[in-house]
Amino acid sequence: MASKKDAIYQCLSPVGNQEPVDMSPIAPRLKSLDGKTIHLSICGEPDITIPLEKRLKGDYPDVNWTVKKTYNINPIQLSEEERKTTDGVILGVCW
Amino acid sequence: MLIDLAEETTKVKHDALIFGIPELRITEASRTLPGPEDVDNWLEPLVQQLTKPLTSKEKRSGKWAPENPRILFEGTLDDAQAFYQQTENLPGILDAPFSMYTDGLPIIVPTEEKVKEMLTGTSHKPDEIITVQRDNEVGMDTIRIRRKKGEVVQFMPMYRTATVEQVAVNAVMAGCKPEYFPVVLAIAESGGGTGDGRGGGGSFVVSGPIVKEIGMNVSYGRGSPGNPPNITIGRVGRLLWRNLGGYKETVSTIMTYGGGGGGALLHGEYAEGLPPGWKGLNEELGFKKKDSILMSGGGGAGGAGGGGQFWMPGVYRALQKSGHGAIARWLDVKGIPGPHNFLDYLLDGMWACREGGVTLVMIPSMAKDLWDVGFKTKDSVYEYIYKKSFEPLKRYRMRGRPDFATNGWMGIERTSGKHWKELPDDYMIPVCPDPWSNCIILAHGEETVLDRGGGGHGQGYSIDAWR
Repeated sequence: MASKKDAIYQCLSPVGNQEPVDMSPIAPRLKSLDGKTIHLSICGEPDITIPLEKRLKGDYPDVNWTVKKTYNINPIQLSEEERKTTDGVILGVCW
Repeated sequence: MLIDLAEETTKVKHDALIFGIPELRITEASRTLPGPEDVDNWLEPLVQQLTKPLTSKEKRSGKWAPENPRILFEGTLDDAQAFYQQTENLPGILDAPFSMYTDGLPIIVPTEEKVKEMLTGTSHKPDEIITVQRDNEVGMDTIRIRRKKGEVVQFMPMYRTATVEQVAVNAVMAGCKPEYFPVVLAIAESGGGTGDGRGGGGSFVVSGPIVKEIGMNVSYGRGSPGNPPNITIGRVGRLLWRNLGGYKETVSTIMTYGGGGGGALLHGEYAEGLPPGWKGLNEELGFKKKDSILMSGGGGAGGAGGGGQFWMPGVYRALQKSGHGAIARWLDVKGIPGPHNFLDYLLDGMWACREGGVTLVMIPSMAKDLWDVGFKTKDSVYEYIYKKSFEPLKRYRMRGRPDFATNGWMGIERTSGKHWKELPDDYMIPVCPDPWSNCIILAHGEETVLDRGGGGHGQGYSIDAWR
């Protein structure tokens, strides 16, 4: 008979359950930005996002820029209607 | 397109996988460059990413379903101990080793037999998924999340779920006894100390009859070594954070919080020491005196260290016994025996370097001193502290947290109903947001000192629901 030191035990996993995830490709890219509606979703880091907004609007005047901003870490969501009319999104700064 | 800060990319890619878009395009900003210069560096590449055609990898779809076998290891106890203690080196922490299944300490090996024994501590079935047992609200500042009874609890940062048995495995590993298990399950219901993923292991207070039943040390020295329930239950939060939540520093979370070492903060309330009319935490949080509950997220939680005047215990005794010493001089009651209201002295400078409510852990004789000078309820103390916390807006604007807590001063100031930017410099703002942000926890003891911190009242969870 095996001593306790040599006995074999089944030991359980302490790890939680990771639910399976359906992975999606990233959204198709645009051919050109001209005349398109691009949404700038700003959360935090105003020292970056203030010059970013200024530069985007100045350097790309043919884009219809829409902006929502919060100081918090959770971005303000687009409505269903806004999603239908938005061609692309830039989100940041994530922290 | 997503903009992150450079060293967060590992974590961001990790989250992108969990949310099913593993090839999310990312632009890295700098933590140190001035904004205009930083933006200049990556503006054009950022915009190009909106038009650059997708690679075949970026077009790929599929399913991510990591395996999690119930039996993780089979072998001798010595080999099992070595298996659970294995580490990996993480580049984000300069290749320091990081435990794959523990908080870094040795564990009790969770054999099938040990876990079965732990499960005798509850009537809940091993395969039951941990859910919220009654409606509640969690969060901080402007970010509040309502949770409904029956909602499945997600453990952060990886949004995992867990069964009663998986919690039992962690309880065994922490060294808990079966009779502690209902407390551990209430901790799991609260999110297991994982918070938003940067949980730090949690801050918990146990209130009600179970404190005595399982022999918690409710003395002022409650965090000192030697008391099995305090130490082992206090350890559970960190294991749940690591194992159920999947916390891995710099990989599944950014390296912002969670420092400081030590275990989760765990108190047991000494309700017998409360003066007449002062409610225990269970009653304060809407439960009955006979109910055993867990308060999570309050009671001295991190990030809000205490301020105010400190004293040597003898100085306090001298104040109340005969009106001598520094506090008596400050209160201008020299030579007049107590009871005296020591709150005025305590609160002097309380908010000099922090905002928020005040959590006080005090011994019965000091609570009685407050009762004797007219504070017949805890609420009256909370109200008093709140009223002492007002300061001019000009000073409040210089504080560190309100930029965040007010959403960049874009909202409405609560006491005036006016926009922050409409208020004059001399408008008085409460640095302690409301009386309920304050909290008193009784600890057994005679030495006349008290702990002060932040946290206030957290959320209450029934321990009895998990018996």
